[in-house]
Amino acid sequence: MSNPLADMDKPDVIFCIGTNMTEAHPVAATRLKQAQAKGAILIVADPRHIPLARRADLHLQLQVGTDVALLGAMAHVIAERGLMDEAFIAERTEGWDDLREHLKSFTPQWAEEITGVPAALIERAAVLFAQADRGAIYYTLGITEHISGVDNVQSLSNLALMTGNLGREGTGINPMRGQNNIQGAGDCGALPSSYPGFQPVSDPAMQAKFEEAWGTKVDLEPGMTKVRALEHAGEKIYAMLICGENTLVSDPDKSHCERALERLDHLVVIDIFKTETAELADVILPASAWAETDGVFTNTERRPQRVRAAVSAQGQARPDWWILAEISKRLGSDRFEYNSAAEVFNEFCSLSPLYAGLDWDRIDGGGYQWPVPAADHPGTPMLHVDEFPRGKGLFKTPSYRDPAEVVSEEFPVWLTTGRRLEHYHTRTMSGRSTGTEYLVPEETLEVHPADVQAWGLKHGGMARMSSPRGSVLVRVASDDTSPPGTVFCSFSFSDVPVNILTGSGYDPITDTAELKVCPVRVEPAPDN
Amino acid sequence: MSLDLTLDGQVVPFQEGETLYEVAHRHGDKIPTLCYDKRLKPLGACRLCVVEVEGANGPLASCTTPAREGMVVRTVTEDLEQHRKTLVDLVLSENPKGAEITPLRGLASQELAQLSVRYGSDGTRFAGATSGHPRLDDPNPMILRDYEHCISCYRCVRVCAEQEGDYAISITGRGFGTRISAEFDVDLQDSDCTFCGQCVQTCPTGALGDQLALQYTDLPEPINATRSICPYCGVGCSVDLLTKGETLVGVQPAMDGPANEGALCIKGQFAWEWVQHPDRLKEPLVRKDGELVPASWEEALDRAAAGFAQTAARHGRQSIYAVASGRAPHESAYSVQKFIRVNFGSNQIDNCSRA
Amino acid sequence: MPASPTDEQLITRWQDEPAPLLPLLHAFNERDGHLSRESLEAISAGLRIPLAEVHGSVTFYHHISDEPESRDRPRVCMGPICRLNGSEQLLHDLDGAEPMACAGRCDDPIPVLQADRGLVGRPGDELQQVPSPLPPPNPAGIEECCLANVREPDRAACSGYVRTGGYAALAKARAMEPEEILQVLEASGLAGRGGAGFPTATKWRAVRDAQGGPKTLVCNADEGEPGCFKDRVLLDHDPHAILEGMAIAGLATGATRGFIYLRYEYPQTQAILERALEEAEEHLDGFEFCVRRGAGAYICGEETSLLNSLEGRHPFPRNRPPFPVTHGFEQTPTAVNNVETLASVAPILHRGAEWYAGLGLGEHRGTKLISLSGDVERPGNYEIPMGFPLKTLLFDWAGVPEGRTVQAVTMAGLSGGFLGAEDLDVTLDEACLRAKGSFLGAGGIMAFDDRRDMFEIARQSMEFFASESCGKCFPCRIGTERLVERLGDPSGPLDPAAWTEEVRAIGQAMTQLSACGLGRSAPLITESLLRLFPAEVSGKLGAE
Repeated sequence: MSNPLADMDKPDVIFCIGTNMTEAHPVAATRLKQAQAKGAILIVADPRHIPLARRADLHLQLQVGTDVALLGAMAHVIAERGLMDEAFIAERTEGWDDLREHLKSFTPQWAEEITGVPAALIERAAVLFAQADRGAIYYTLGITEHISGVDNVQSLSNLALMTGNLGREGTGINPMRGQNNIQGAGDCGALPSSYPGFQPVSDPAMQAKFEEAWGTKVDLEPGMTKVRALEHAGEKIYAMLICGENTLVSDPDKSHCERALERLDHLVVIDIFKTETAELADVILPASAWAETDGVFTNTERRPQRVRAAVSAQGQARPDWWILAEISKRLGSDRFEYNSAAEVFNEFCSLSPLYAGLDWDRIDGGGYQWPVPAADHPGTPMLHVDEFPRGKGLFKTPSYRDPAEVVSEEFPVWLTTGRRLEHYHTRTMSGRSTGTEYLVPEETLEVHPADVQAWGLKHGGMARMSSPRGSVLVRVASDDTSPPGTVFCSFSFSDVPVNILTGSGYDPITDTAELKVCPVRVEPAPDN
Repeated sequence: MSLDLTLDGQVVPFQEGETLYEVAHRHGDKIPTLCYDKRLKPLGACRLCVVEVEGANGPLASCTTPAREGMVVRTVTEDLEQHRKTLVDLVLSENPKGAEITPLRGLASQELAQLSVRYGSDGTRFAGATSGHPRLDDPNPMILRDYEHCISCYRCVRVCAEQEGDYAISITGRGFGTRISAEFDVDLQDSDCTFCGQCVQTCPTGALGDQLALQYTDLPEPINATRSICPYCGVGCSVDLLTKGETLVGVQPAMDGPANEGALCIKGQFAWEWVQHPDRLKEPLVRKDGELVPASWEEALDRAAAGFAQTAARHGRQSIYAVASGRAPHESAYSVQKFIRVNFGSNQIDNCSRA
Repeated sequence: MPASPTDEQLITRWQDEPAPLLPLLHAFNERDGHLSRESLEAISAGLRIPLAEVHGSVTFYHHISDEPESRDRPRVCMGPICRLNGSEQLLHDLDGAEPMACAGRCDDPIPVLQADRGLVGRPGDELQQVPSPLPPPNPAGIEECCLANVREPDRAACSGYVRTGGYAALAKARAMEPEEILQVLEASGLAGRGGAGFPTATKWRAVRDAQGGPKTLVCNADEGEPGCFKDRVLLDHDPHAILEGMAIAGLATGATRGFIYLRYEYPQTQAILERALEEAEEHLDGFEFCVRRGAGAYICGEETSLLNSLEGRHPFPRNRPPFPVTHGFEQTPTAVNNVETLASVAPILHRGAEWYAGLGLGEHRGTKLISLSGDVERPGNYEIPMGFPLKTLLFDWAGVPEGRTVQAVTMAGLSGGFLGAEDLDVTLDEACLRAKGSFLGAGGIMAFDDRRDMFEIARQSMEFFASESCGKCFPCRIGTERLVERLGDPSGPLDPAAWTEEVRAIGQAMTQLSACGLGRSAPLITESLLRLFPAEVSGKLGAE
């Protein structure tokens, strides 16, 4: 997030796109609701009539996967009507003329054809956002889990830059991270292209820095993304260590994924439960869980905060860092001599300029947001105040592309996937909690009442849903949250492995899977 | 310009817009209150926070009275304390079960109990009808609705509306017959309730209680609280983990959490039982003859290391890949990437953010 | 609107109107005879008010309910005077009848409300729908202000109003600067006649000077105080005087929109007001006034509860500051004025500040309407000069039944508690009454002669306050209940000393700590009972 969570009740126009925030980030959503109570205007772009959309002043109910068209048309309207922040564009950005030219063809009428959102509504949304004193954008995986994920983000960046909604209170481009420490995992260098602190592996200076620290010269060549690694299992990749991820259920194209893992010579899984993925392992190492482990999580606003052990670990479970150190020692390394989580974290801070001013003790109260370049630095709640990482903000010119697969006679229905309030990921945790299980004990396929009738389904009855990659059985819930022609399902339940169906394509730059769009066929199935 | 007022004989500064309660609270005064939650708009309902202000026609509720330059305020006088005692006696007179309640019920659940001690109230003075209508029959396993303890402070209704924006419950009826209910008195699961538990945590009497925590009422150990961060989404809500000995018995929101300021959702509040679930992996497992069987740490670690060493020898160091977790703490992700980079000199590492 | 409009038709009719919740609730209630779950869901969606809140509000009001067929059930007045007239018998006699709090016709046979019909009668009588009574003829020829023309035939019609001098003041005001209007009012000494006594010019000036808008006028016609029916006579027989007063208020404050918040129990009055609004269209050019009917809640006579009710919120009183003059209806600067106050405006502008000020006796300025009822020969509304002796009103104007002595009168309806026989030597003005521990308030006086059980009347009175306590503040919510219990069961488990101590302690806490006037004044009932009738109290405590 460019801006802190505490800012979320300060915008006067809020634009939420691809974020089911009341369900996926409920506590952040409470702040948006408070902003609304103070008079802020809420614009929601989402294919489904989600709870946030029901509260919105404007709901742009776009066809799945057409975000670039919608956002481009909003930018078009702003440019055509001269509602840009000219001063901001002049002082802080580059490439405006190119974008302006590029936007000419993105008329609201053109976008209406593609997105299904009435041109007049697109215009109203654009004007409202452009005229805001403080306009803020919030998005989640509904933006990134597309083959055009990068283009979507760039389109949002264009909107924020052209209206000068960056670097000020109550503005910004604010992705909401979906997992408690997904930000931290990246911060720590668990990425194929960067060392801890986002220092590029391709930079020889970084190579030298880490060789000095660790005694190993690491390749300048970036590694594979996980998606590619799974693709190459059994040809280039022969052993894997998977730590705390139920890859098999959470990743797209489950059958493919299962075959990939089975092709490995050696699979080690570190986890707290015997997940579907762990079942395929050669070695399963029991990890100590949250509430049993000291450590640090960094949240979506770049705030490192301490987690603490309150009870002893179950059985013989041990912290991940201990397990990895023990394997490394057995591989002959003497660089893993840690006695505590604090030592690991402090080593990380010493190697990461973004965390250079922090250590285990300083983050005790969670009072800092990175970058914290020095010990006397107060932290950086807001990014881009005076300049962008590259100096000036660069306008990009993304073009609209159809999703990887589009509906056809054989697969005439759009499936989009996501989260439910009551559950989290593959339910390893929420599925083992009385309350959440009580409320939502099984997965259902959300189908518009008109489609339920048209497709011969019945509420509470079973349906078979198929894509080119497979099919699943799922109970039908008649619900007008999804529009006719689109169905919704979460990926949380292993008995409705919806990721058997997904995996039609990946973003060419990030390799992020298009989990939000998948053409399917839905047919009645016998009740079980 | 600095603004000052006189508080119990001391001249103290205040800021424009502060209420007398806030000023007094900041200066360490323990003005009693039952309807106040600093996150909510003051309601001025319980009237316990009344103070005397020179020139005013009778006591004023400090929570709803803006501080003004030159005010002379007394927070404790014989009259005020007598009125407060009468009020606490009145409140307890409609609490047939008394104020004493286990702190497992909720974060604020001891507030009335503490006042009953402070004012020596036992519920016998002013005895009469009681107004609570329990909904112990609400079948949800999370929120106990023991309204016999309800004192109609409306903190639950207000937190649901103002803080959560959910408006799942409201005030029905009026006067002594007032009740807290969802529309048409439906069960919470049939209302707009999202089970964030905020009503439970702000209830000053324990009328609303955390049912999951209450299962552990009989464990003999004292309750301990450990500050931590919620393990679900990326918002990073601060929580206190409640334990009794080695048993995790509940979660409460931290009012001073920088990301959440006391807010939580259903998962952070109620979905924690997995930690000590019987399904947890308790020992290493290794595959022997196609079956995963228990092993010692030594054996499992040796197996794990040997497999990586053999693969590297056979297919090269770049044939080893690791996936770090976005759910485990930094020390895990840092160790996983270091494991690959130090042991194999490659960058064959990713995390689960692309799924 | 068709006979049975659809949900959508009703919502479309109202959703873009100001203050739409109450009229929509009434419209659905009228269509279905109750407020069904489906109706409330439609209203909640149509007005974007959370369903639980709409439902909560519905349960707050006495006269609307989610119970099938609830709307048409007859409601019988249980006010203190109607009980003397046999209303309990009438309640018993009428099929499915429910009790209601004083319905503001203490100068008539017992009122029975049935949906939109306001009937009157006595046990055994055929109930009749008749116009509400006019005030008795001016007994002493003392000059009146509000009632001066009310007995003129056809005064309620626009033509009759204009013929008797109506709308001349408004025409005059249109030619004046707002400041001039304010100065006239200021000089007249007109102050709030609903009981608060706040100078009207000061209030209007605050609204005029307040930031923001649009500015709003509210005529508080939620006359709910037991024993008060003085607004009713003005609303029913001189509605244009109120509209004219509102329009002048608009000129003075800069407000062009206004609401008349009318109590539910005056159904005929709504028709009268709506007709008046229609007829007066040309006179009211530039103003948009509308009537909003309450749904049965005494607390809505409190101006901030009234504003919450108008806005469709739970009708609890608001905390002050901020005051309505800066943050009133939908947070806009709002002048809330009582009916009588507004009805006094046109005569003042017409005849001058000095004239009005001179109507009072001594240093008192202006007049006050008094609703006098109970054990008197000629109950009704009297307009007295401020500072007028109570005894003259009681004994000379209204008359006490032959052979009876007055043992107590109430003040301010019920809110001022009782004055005893030895207190009757007062003049009717706030200064004198406050010295006796009471107050004039809205001007309702109920007289009880020596036949009456004052302990029982005190109990009924407290029952009224308990049933009207909104439930917001602790001392009132619990205190009224505990006082009712103690008055209802004086010989209960407590010994007399403990009984008295508890009643006094509760009363003091309520008086000192309650958030609004209801809780602060209700204990005047018990305090005056203990002071004036110690023997009766001892008797009850010791006996039975």
